[in-house]
Amino acid sequence: MAKVTIATDWLAACAGCHMSLLDIDERIFPLLEMVEFTSSPVTDLKHPPVDGVTVGILTGAISNTHNIEVARRMRSHCQILVAVGDCATFGGIVATRNLVGTEAALKRAYLETESTVAGLIPDSPELGVPLPIVTGVGEVVTVDVFIPGCPPRADDLYFAIGELLAGRVPKVLPPEHLKYD
Amino acid sequence: MASLNITINDQKITAESGQTVLETASAAGIEIPTLCHHPALNPIGACRVCLVEIKGQRSLQPACTFPVTRGMEIQTESPKVVEARKFVLELIFSERNHFCMYCEMSGDCELQNLGYRYGLDHWMYPTYTQNFPVDASADDFLLDHNRCVLCRRCVRACSELAANHTLDLRQRGALTMLTADMNVAISQSSCISCGVCLDVCPTGALVDKRSAFLGRDCDCDHIASICSQCSIGCGIEIVTRANSVLRIRGLWDAPVNAGVLCKKGRFESLVDRRPRIFSPLKRLNDRHLPADWDGLLQLAAERIAAVAPQHLGLLTTTHATNEALNLLNELFCRHLKVRHVDLLNPVAPRPPSLPKGTLADLSHSDCILVTGTDPVNTHPVASMLIKRAVDRGAQLIVIEDRESGLAAYADQVLKTSETDQALRFGRRAQRPAVMYGNFVSKGVFTSLKKLAKAVYVALQPGVNTHAALSLGLHQHIDFASLAVLYVLSGEQHEQLNEVAAKITPETFVVVQASYASPLTERADLVLPMAIWLERSGSLTNTDGIVQQVRAARAPQGQSKPDWEILRMLTEKLGGKPFVLPNDIAHYAEHESFGKENPSWQK
Repeated sequence: MAKVTIATDWLAACAGCHMSLLDIDERIFPLLEMVEFTSSPVTDLKHPPVDGVTVGILTGAISNTHNIEVARRMRSHCQILVAVGDCATFGGIVATRNLVGTEAALKRAYLETESTVAGLIPDSPELGVPLPIVTGVGEVVTVDVFIPGCPPRADDLYFAIGELLAGRVPKVLPPEHLKYD
Repeated sequence: MASLNITINDQKITAESGQTVLETASAAGIEIPTLCHHPALNPIGACRVCLVEIKGQRSLQPACTFPVTRGMEIQTESPKVVEARKFVLELIFSERNHFCMYCEMSGDCELQNLGYRYGLDHWMYPTYTQNFPVDASADDFLLDHNRCVLCRRCVRACSELAANHTLDLRQRGALTMLTADMNVAISQSSCISCGVCLDVCPTGALVDKRSAFLGRDCDCDHIASICSQCSIGCGIEIVTRANSVLRIRGLWDAPVNAGVLCKKGRFESLVDRRPRIFSPLKRLNDRHLPADWDGLLQLAAERIAAVAPQHLGLLTTTHATNEALNLLNELFCRHLKVRHVDLLNPVAPRPPSLPKGTLADLSHSDCILVTGTDPVNTHPVASMLIKRAVDRGAQLIVIEDRESGLAAYADQVLKTSETDQALRFGRRAQRPAVMYGNFVSKGVFTSLKKLAKAVYVALQPGVNTHAALSLGLHQHIDFASLAVLYVLSGEQHEQLNEVAAKITPETFVVVQASYASPLTERADLVLPMAIWLERSGSLTNTDGIVQQVRAARAPQGQSKPDWEILRMLTEKLGGKPFVLPNDIAHYAEHESFGKENPSWQK
């Protein structure tokens, strides 16, 4: 039987959710018998394969236009999209930016910090443009499974992958695997 | 009350008429989730989390306010109900910042638990963007409006329990905000920092500053005990982690306070900046040197045994357990027959002929006369009971020549020379209650005793003053005739200067104390005593109710519980094996310790 393909990518994230996925420890070996991780931000191959994957995993919030592109690319390349972590589900820590507004946050970060000398707000055309409001992934693309948590515990992620491998798409994780912090 | 039959989730249940759906369901063991409801507060049906389906009703109804009627058929978890509750929760979560990941209350939050229960794993409504203020102006707690769900528990606790009416809501609809007085910072408001709002807040909107982020409830130990700051005897829960005390909460099922506490008991009791005494100390010329317990007690015993009873004195604070006071009485009064015995605290007179009232009587009284005490400042929980009675319509007459914190709530504030006027109010009442303290003047007391129907509630200063009085420790001491003086000053900080000044230079002084003071400086021997958080035992409150206190952490340094020091001293003096704390039940039955019998477990 062909392996189930999984691609992951991150948006406005701290990488903690990917770390948590690695925290499934030695369970990753039997998992790799059944699953092929095609691409991820922490492997050589960054982009999901053109032919698409079965499961796409996104971590991080939608904070700029680049995040929207990455989210849409993953959505169009996977059958089941999983939003992992508080940022991807709710906006998370990144969404605290909403409390002061994007402009004020950029000014504070790039111009006004105590150590800044002749600061400049980055505006290279290669960069994504920060959005006025940070949101979860669900406000940009359709998400099939939400796994909140900061980060979700390795057991929660392992459980969710197990469910998907068994052909079940959990609508909401059971209470023992649903945590907001 | 008439009982009536209803069904909940197709289960036949007998309810009492007048009960709400929620009360009936709870009594039958059927759990209906709630958020704004709190058992100690009047239900208002504000949050709609407890919605249930009632056959014949046009729409879903809040279980917390809906009264049961005969034949009612209720569904508490039908698909319609679950869908509505989820919708309600989604709306609540969408209104403010309810990100759990950086909230103090995460893990202990009622809103979070409801989110888990109803499987909220992402926002249904646009991500919140509005920033609400945080009021950190109060010394002991902060109010984060971003976490507030407007359930009004704190508002109700502030008016129904503390009877202080500081908190309320302003504005309407989506603009509604919790507010203190006329929209001022909490530190500028009429708030008395009793902190009862912290105990009822279901989210992280009202948070204890001192213990924030130091541990979730499930990581902590919870010790039920009795507050040792005054003579009211409020039931408290001491929350500790790794031998550190994090915070104190009110015990809802406590007989005296039923959950409420005051600033002194909840916050100030955990902060005492006086230097502790950690080691037994022995005077050598002008200095104190550390000594070992055994040698020091031996020395104390020898000096005490060597003097005649008429030259031996005993002074004690009432900040001590029943066990300690009892051992003092057994050892000094009965065994050594000491003539000079007195308390470091003043006391309120307690003539046996007077009809004895209790704090609970205040709740039933229609006219409360207060004299010789200022409970707002000395016994805040008693002032809450009085203010509640005033809210209920009772008359409050304050007879005081000094300032009284109750003056603002009183119908009449009279001078002691106007006691006759007070009597007129008292005589017209059905159930008058007189509350008096140690400052009551003889003349006023004599006049007030004439109130035929009245009960008299003594509000004792100190802590265990009722027990000390019952044991006869309040007598007289003649410092000039003393060769040896034993002082149990414990944690008391008043009166110590005055007492130290009265002691003659020739007197050999043994002081049992927790903190350094002028008295310990004067002492020849100092016995380090554990503070109230570190000793178990029992206390008798101003009503005579005996309640069990439990140690929340180990005694610090070489200090020992008050009664343990006295037990060891008794042994050194060759006294018969006196009653130990685990025999306190015996003393509780004794008249002098009141009639309530504590279920003592060691």
